[in-house]
Amino acid sequence: MNTVADDGNNNLRYAEYVLGVLDADARAAVAHEIETTGEAATAVALWQRRLMPLTETIDEVVPAPYVWARIHDALQLDAPARVQPRKGLWNNLQLWHWLGIGASVVAAALVVVVSLPHLTTAPTVVNAGYMAATIQQDNGATGWTATMDLQHARMVVVPATPVAFVRGRAPELWLIPAGGKPIAVGMIALDKPTTLALDPALLAQLGPTAALAVSVEPLGGSPTGQPTGAVIAKGAISGAPDAQGAKVAAIYDRQAGRTAT
Amino acid sequence: MSVTSPAERDELNQLLMQTGRSDQKAFAELYKRTSSKLFGVCLRMLRDRSEAEEVLQETYTTVWRRAAGFDAGKASAITWLVTLSRNKAIDRLRQHREELLDDPSRLEETADERPTPAADAETSQEYRRLEHCLDELEPQQRTSVREAFFTGATYNELATRCKVPLGTMKSWIRRSLMQLRTCLDQLGVDQ
Repeated sequence: MNTVADDGNNNLRYAEYVLGVLDADARAAVAHEIETTGEAATAVALWQRRLMPLTETIDEVVPAPYVWARIHDALQLDAPARVQPRKGLWNNLQLWHWLGIGASVVAAALVVVVSLPHLTTAPTVVNAGYMAATIQQDNGATGWTATMDLQHARMVVVPATPVAFVRGRAPELWLIPAGGKPIAVGMIALDKPTTLALDPALLAQLGPTAALAVSVEPLGGSPTGQPTGAVIAKGAISGAPDAQGAKVAAIYDRQAGRTAT
Repeated sequence: MSVTSPAERDELNQLLMQTGRSDQKAFAELYKRTSSKLFGVCLRMLRDRSEAEEVLQETYTTVWRRAAGFDAGKASAITWLVTLSRNKAIDRLRQHREELLDDPSRLEETADERPTPAADAETSQEYRRLEHCLDELEPQQRTSVREAFFTGATYNELATRCKVPLGTMKSWIRRSLMQLRTCLDQLGVDQ
């Protein structure tokens, strides 16, 4: 049985839990109590009612569309992804792996992919606001392919050829405007596609005169805001080459037939 | 959470309950209407976009799995959701608190942040009561409570940041919490 003093102490612990000052072990202990005893759950709920109004003053920030796409994929939902209408294609990893063979093909395919819903007889190629780049290593092998979705302000970077990195170093992607200094885009993965948000300043610099480059940097990124390690791959940015659209549409159709589930 | 009318509150409760019955459309709608708030909360605590994105993802994955346990009689949907995201963010902070322990920029940025008078007009009665009670605390203690709430810092971290002994920080916070409870109870929050 709880004495009055116990009740006071417990109450304080529940308040501290809601405020967020307990260390990991003490938090875990209270979390366990909430799951197992009604009293703890009630006391914590009461403290939440008292303190949570503070969150009213926190500014809302719209998360990037790919967060919903990840949730959608993680839970394997089949509801229409209204929050992000084109999620299915953009986040289809199989498609990305397949598309990883070359950026011009990526760009061309995207043009077609985006117009697929309208496809009845012949492919209609539309300029859908995509750009692409093949980021080549010095030996000519494609290191990564990058596709930029201008409308949604994001870029997907897909590794093509494995690149070895020493421990503690990682690839960082840079945008190099013609005659300008490199602008950091973000850290990219060696073994899986990376989705990066493009802020307006970056978007404004994208174009056929700009290039992408990958340099070797510390894990947290270049400490100086400029490349500090060797540049291991680079490539020019191109708009979606619509001349190839029809050809790629055929490839995509075959592929879609094969991967459709 | 700000400016939620009783009607909106009911709608969110409804959406969360439908989510508890595995209604995917309701879940998508719930995400659409609440994710900006929750992302704001995560960003405020974690100060890192990709970490906040991960925690937001974890939060909604958990929402989907645990929504059936939501009880509108105990808390509103938005309180339930914000609480869940805060808890996930705090857990994340505890996982690597060493890295974040001594960042002197954090206290300055989060110092006493009252909303502007204009924003104040849009807050709920519950918020205004809480603000009234916070105003009755000693300034240093009020700042510590806010700092704790908004950054998810431990007693140790708070003591380091405010350059006071751990015992002092503990007694400031504990006294503040008890004072807040008394003040809020008098204003009828628990009725």
